[in-house]
Amino acid sequence: MGDEMSSVKRPLVVLISLAALTSAALLICPMIGITLITPQKLLTDENLGFVFWSIRVPRVLVALFAGGGLAVTGIVYQALFRNPLADPYTLGISSGASLGAALCIIAGVGGSVAGMSIVSLCAFAGALGSIVIIYCLAFTRESNSSTLLLAGVIVATICSGFIMFLHTVGGVHKSFQIIQWVIGSVDGASYSLLVCMLVPLILFFAVAGVLMPQLDQFLAGDSIAHSRGVNVKTGRIVFITITALAVGGIVAVCGPIGFISIIAPHACRMLIPGVRHRLLALCSFLLGGTFLIVADTVARTIAPPSEIPVGIVTALLGGPFFLLLLFRKKSRLLM
Amino acid sequence: MNKASSIIQIENLHAAYGRSEALAGITLKIGKNQRWAIVGPNGAGKSTLIKIMAGLLKPSSGSVLLNGCDIRQYSSRKRAHVISYMPQKPDGLIPYTVYDFVMLGRYSLMGLMGVPSKEDREVVAEAIEICDIHHLENRIMSTLSGGELQRALLAGAVAQSAPVLLLDEPTTFLDPAHERLFFDALCRLDVKRELTTVMITHDINSALYQCSHIAALKDGQLLYGGSTGEFKKGCPELLEQIFGTRFMQFNCSELSAEAYGSWGMKCLQ
Repeated sequence: MGDEMSSVKRPLVVLISLAALTSAALLICPMIGITLITPQKLLTDENLGFVFWSIRVPRVLVALFAGGGLAVTGIVYQALFRNPLADPYTLGISSGASLGAALCIIAGVGGSVAGMSIVSLCAFAGALGSIVIIYCLAFTRESNSSTLLLAGVIVATICSGFIMFLHTVGGVHKSFQIIQWVIGSVDGASYSLLVCMLVPLILFFAVAGVLMPQLDQFLAGDSIAHSRGVNVKTGRIVFITITALAVGGIVAVCGPIGFISIIAPHACRMLIPGVRHRLLALCSFLLGGTFLIVADTVARTIAPPSEIPVGIVTALLGGPFFLLLLFRKKSRLLM
Repeated sequence: MNKASSIIQIENLHAAYGRSEALAGITLKIGKNQRWAIVGPNGAGKSTLIKIMAGLLKPSSGSVLLNGCDIRQYSSRKRAHVISYMPQKPDGLIPYTVYDFVMLGRYSLMGLMGVPSKEDREVVAEAIEICDIHHLENRIMSTLSGGELQRALLAGAVAQSAPVLLLDEPTTFLDPAHERLFFDALCRLDVKRELTTVMITHDINSALYQCSHIAALKDGQLLYGGSTGEFKKGCPELLEQIFGTRFMQFNCSELSAEAYGSWGMKCLQ
């Protein structure tokens, strides 16, 4: 009886705890920086007010939605391909975005459109381009999750090769720009960039939110999903397309930030094993978002006055944290 | 059997993997409330046939009629209302609790948001009761033993409330005790619902004593399709023709008579 109660209550406790953690991060992290902005200073100092509202708050919000969005895209890919290591990286979407940005940097195209830099738009186009190539490769023969995943890995490898080539021939300044972009960062976030990122992300959350029961079926296997009434082929295309749009939007604004799409879903699976995707996605969004907010706060305060790219922090914090979780729970990946 | 009483009608079905022919002109009528066993040696086309019936594979020619309508004309959801398929084993580890997995069986009957109704919860509770897996409700599927997993998979298929149940080698990995539990669940299901079951099995005695009809395949062709009573009359010669090896009839002592009746078939090699 006790076990039954805890199995019902535990997901709720975890969800409320994560929501509290996210709220705390949203409130506290904008105050932290090279200059500590307390509520008292915020009311009295106009310059600090500008820094707080126009720089730190949009940055924290971008981190929340980028981290949360990446976590949910990880869940979608892991269920769709029934592979615990599937994420936007393994499917080549992040690499496609990076190649798009690298090509733009090498071409020296500057400027912005509707608040988004041309580099970001090229990254978005690169993400969508890579997914089109993956489809074309996968559908030349009978498509299944393995052929799609393999096509993604091949596209990612080819894109990485091109990026390394551009990095090598690009000259010192452009090579540095490429490296900065490829590591991923949320500096330079603004409300207009937040809106640009949110447009595809909200579409993704809306469609994925409704179709989560279908994702539950995908994780049980193609034959079971088919038997239960899921149109497996169409469902997979819809999920991959909306996820590619969301990843494209995130990567265009923040660059390819690693690890979150792997660690947030698995950390949640370990905290609340056995839950279905809608609740898992909600918890992972909160955990991924909070994690990126905290990682970004560390990134901009650990070595003042300079900032380090948040991608470095997510890898250095996320890797050991995930290992700790994995070995403390004495469990394997629950999928 | 007249056409009105048949729920599945297979007409001149051909299927191939590349140039290799898997099914060569199968014609079969499966009536309502019958339990069919598909038997045959490895590579005979049993799995291909059941997967075509489930809509998982497409035939190269011929058709499978479901209530008189070609299965290819059914939408995914409509098909799920009529046919439920249980694979031999899942494609990978299933990370849900047993209760949630059984609830997944209600997918085609739920609304777009997939929120279970009171009726969904009642049907799931009944499926869990039929399959005798109350004690496993909160266990994660990937932690179940082979026998427990098969009964949980069956409960998921039962929760779908489809009148046709297709089972792909449901007892292959089960020990005799768990096999018995599995068939007990099927019997309880027959009592509760009017169900047509088609299962692939390699256990000839299970086919002879648990099923009302037998379809015997060899090299993609149907060697026998009819009642188990008629099939028994042709044994062991019919079995030797199907499997290419000698069989003998043995009389059971009181120990196995309860499970299988008074006699069984034993392979001599």
